[in-house]
Amino acid sequence: MLSSRMRSEPWRAAPFLLPLLALLAAWFVWPLAQALTNSLHPNTPQGIDAGQWTLANYARIADPLYAGVVVRTLRISALVTAISSLLVYPVALATTRLGPRREALAILAYVSPWLVNTLVKALGWNLLLRPTGLVNAALGEIGAGPLRLMLNETGVVIALIPGHFMFVLLPVWAALKGLDPALGWAAGTLGASRAGVFWRVLFPLTLPALIAGLAINFIMNTTAFAIPMLLGGLRNETASMLAYRVNLVMLDWPFGGAVAVVLLVFTLLLVWGGQRIATLAVPGPRA
Amino acid sequence: MGLGLERVAKRFGQVTAVEALDLDVATGELFTLLGPSGCGKTTALRVVAGIYPADAGRVLLDGADITRTPMHRRGMAMVFQTYVLFPHLSVFDNVAFGLRSRRVGRREIRERVAAALALVRLEGLAERYPSQLSGGQQQRVALARALVVRPALLLLDEPLSNLDARLRDEMRAEIRALQRRLRITTVLVTHDIQEAFALSDRIGVMRAGRLEQVGSPAEIYRRPANRFVAHFVGPVTELRLRGVETVDGRARATLEGGLTAWVDARTARPDGLLLLRPEAVRLHVPEGAAENRYSARIEDVVYLGAETECRVVVGGTLVVAKLPSIAAAGLRQGDEVAIGWDPADAVVTHAV
Repeated sequence: MLSSRMRSEPWRAAPFLLPLLALLAAWFVWPLAQALTNSLHPNTPQGIDAGQWTLANYARIADPLYAGVVVRTLRISALVTAISSLLVYPVALATTRLGPRREALAILAYVSPWLVNTLVKALGWNLLLRPTGLVNAALGEIGAGPLRLMLNETGVVIALIPGHFMFVLLPVWAALKGLDPALGWAAGTLGASRAGVFWRVLFPLTLPALIAGLAINFIMNTTAFAIPMLLGGLRNETASMLAYRVNLVMLDWPFGGAVAVVLLVFTLLLVWGGQRIATLAVPGPRA
Repeated sequence: MGLGLERVAKRFGQVTAVEALDLDVATGELFTLLGPSGCGKTTALRVVAGIYPADAGRVLLDGADITRTPMHRRGMAMVFQTYVLFPHLSVFDNVAFGLRSRRVGRREIRERVAAALALVRLEGLAERYPSQLSGGQQQRVALARALVVRPALLLLDEPLSNLDARLRDEMRAEIRALQRRLRITTVLVTHDIQEAFALSDRIGVMRAGRLEQVGSPAEIYRRPANRFVAHFVGPVTELRLRGVETVDGRARATLEGGLTAWVDARTARPDGLLLLRPEAVRLHVPEGAAENRYSARIEDVVYLGAETECRVVVGGTLVVAKLPSIAAAGLRQGDEVAIGWDPADAVVTHAV
């Protein structure tokens, strides 16, 4: 419904953006600015000392106590993203071959974890993964196990994979759907085997979508809260759990602000880097 | 030798796209499957390519049964209606694609790609990407990509229908010259009659999954096997027969409206239809100059540039004649003219 004048003079569309911008300013930019200024003041027993400026809060993150949390977060997130990247093409390709009805149902199934409250999901995983849970009971039946599947990083990884798989699947599936099926026929008649068609045609043409999906998946993993909390336990603290603890348990807002800012900057860098790589991965002529 | 289809069938659910198709394409021949959209010609081509498996029948290439051979081992190459170049590969890599599948050495690839690009007059564009090419150039790349592998069989699926008219004529001439020169056994699929006539050694006219007639372009046009073929390949006037008698060993038919006409004895049948091409009908025929001669009245004169269409009424029946405009000067609506045709230029078919 964009009129051609709005297209040629984009500022004419500005009034329509105002409500959204106001919301963002009040509930996102303003608190963020608060967190940023807080992070640059020292915390004292009497509260935030707004009279002094310091980088000590940021220096504190380098403390092994906290740096370990960041490393663990990155390790878990990278593992989930890596496993998702291995699963996505088999799943996406199989989905495109189901026929329209079953394909729609399959996509709904892959999106469904996102439609369930994370706490409910975490509880469900708890029932499956705990020492007396369904998985270990089944393992016991065949004389294996029990395996320690929760209150460690394994549990977090297991639960995050299906939870965030759709962020990789949807872009890759959509990209595959968008390809002309005749591309596969052209490659096939020219002597490419099924594997050849995939690696020489389908994969390079959907690589930008894969990279974009993996970047989103990774970010979602780093910011996950309930799943790491309930399946990893407090001894396997991740970055969002740390931010929660510092801000709402320790009430150390300056340090909490620093943790939040570092998380945000890191996420923005990832989005930017992902987009950059995705742009470079777009095949074809370079401008 | 060449390509053979034996009773090949292909169904999609309840719909039969190709039904018991028999076909023989000789080595070096350009064979065209011609038909309206939905007649099964593209499906037949895809069965030949191995894109669709045949539900029944056999596909033979140079005598070997390839019905179950996957497409990447058939040694064919196909040019698609929409070209289907690989958008992520340069022109060079597009053309080299089939050679890399065949594990051809690096140096030979360079030489053969260069030769193929020269063949389609695209030297100097090897580094471009498909999105940087015009439609005609993309078409040439698609052709080079197919020819470079020296396919046992070249499949062309409506290769010219996405080009504008001028470019289409140019590419048509080019494909014809290349095929004649390289003598690659070729199957062309098209709905374009001019394209089929201009390019083909033989044409198979398809309707509803079946072959209606196979023959040279002239046979298809001059001796259509039935009404469908006659109408599909060009305009035709139909005159219903009321009976045929033999006079001095020759066939003379009584037509609807009471006229009598000499007809080709080989095709004559008392309940048939006499099919007349507009250009077979001549005007101003002097007495004794044609075996079938009638007086007619001009209903309408339609100027079409090089030709003029003349609608005349003979014994209550409308007959369309087409003649060079130079010869049509002076014809006016309402004029009385003598029209006629040679029995060899008309054909009698089944009425259905």
